[in-house]
Amino acid sequence: MILVDMFTMAAVGAGMFFFLAGTVGLLRFPDTLSRLHALTKADNLGFGFIVLGLLPQSPDVLSGLKLVVVWLLVQLAAATAGQLIAQFVGLERRRDPAA
Amino acid sequence: MSIPAASMHSIFNHGTAARFGAYLALWIMLIEFSVTNFAVGLLAAAWATWISVSLLPVSNRQFSPIGLMRFAMRLPWQALVAGADVARRAIDPRMPLQPGLITYATRIESGPGRDAFRALMSLQPGTLPASVGDSDAMLIHCLDTRQPVAAQLAAEEALFAQITGGGRTRSRRDD
Amino acid sequence: MIDFLYGAAALLLLLTGLGLARMMWGPAPADRMMAAQLLGTGGGAIALLIATASGITAIIDIALVLALLAAFAAVALTLGEPGTKQPDGQANP
Repeated sequence: MILVDMFTMAAVGAGMFFFLAGTVGLLRFPDTLSRLHALTKADNLGFGFIVLGLLPQSPDVLSGLKLVVVWLLVQLAAATAGQLIAQFVGLERRRDPAA
Repeated sequence: MSIPAASMHSIFNHGTAARFGAYLALWIMLIEFSVTNFAVGLLAAAWATWISVSLLPVSNRQFSPIGLMRFAMRLPWQALVAGADVARRAIDPRMPLQPGLITYATRIESGPGRDAFRALMSLQPGTLPASVGDSDAMLIHCLDTRQPVAAQLAAEEALFAQITGGGRTRSRRDD
Repeated sequence: MIDFLYGAAALLLLLTGLGLARMMWGPAPADRMMAAQLLGTGGGAIALLIATASGITAIIDIALVLALLAAFAAVALTLGEPGTKQPDGQANP
């Protein structure tokens, strides 16, 4: 039991680190698309680590599966949304290269 | 795009059945099981299948299972490398960035295959596709243009082509 | 364990709040749209942590809804983009 809790703490801790790095990136990175990198890569990895850490704490197999499905949906949503936002910025730049 | 009459019967082929099964499985995982919920789930899965087939028709494309597995195994590792790369650049006091847009000429035909490849590129360390439209020259945003981005993307593209059937890319459009 | 999870959720709330404040400031519309994405990942992770800590599995559904809203928000942004066709067939100005 102690081992399981240690695993959870390590994985959730790693997730927190990547969320911290993502937020630092959002605050520091100079342009919109670089900030999008921080959001789609660092924060998503943080989310993945938190789900990984919470898995052994789930009360039954079905709840664990649901966590995995939520993670998959978040990944899918982030991949789609990230591309749409990047395209939006790309289109804006094409119209006004100074932006 | 309307569905040709000749392929109408193929609406009920095993590809459609597989999608229906996947949606139903998704429902069961998300919603607590009961008879009423299951009945609603059957309807929801049927509706979802109908929408998905009208948005993305079932194709007979043969995926290489080994290639697909090799690819799927790489995904978590790549997500880790990409996330660590961004994290390092964000936290480093000197913030080693040289953001910029590059164009990359892809060999993958436009359509679902290219969309999937685009999604995978956004997983790669330091690259984010920002292209508009169906142009073969894709606009890629890089965190660090000093990195050999084009070579990295070409290697990924070759691996991706293996899954969608033995390196077949541009030559065959209909399948 | 429960205290650890609640603590992680509180810290994540702080980080997500900081990020949201940054994105609301802009300057580009895309920056503000990223706030919705941040709400999807950050808010979703907070919901999952609280769901596990409290044992109320229904809270997982909140994470699910946040993820879906984030995806649809990005689609709405792109549909409103100049030059794209609106459902009524008229192009945006």
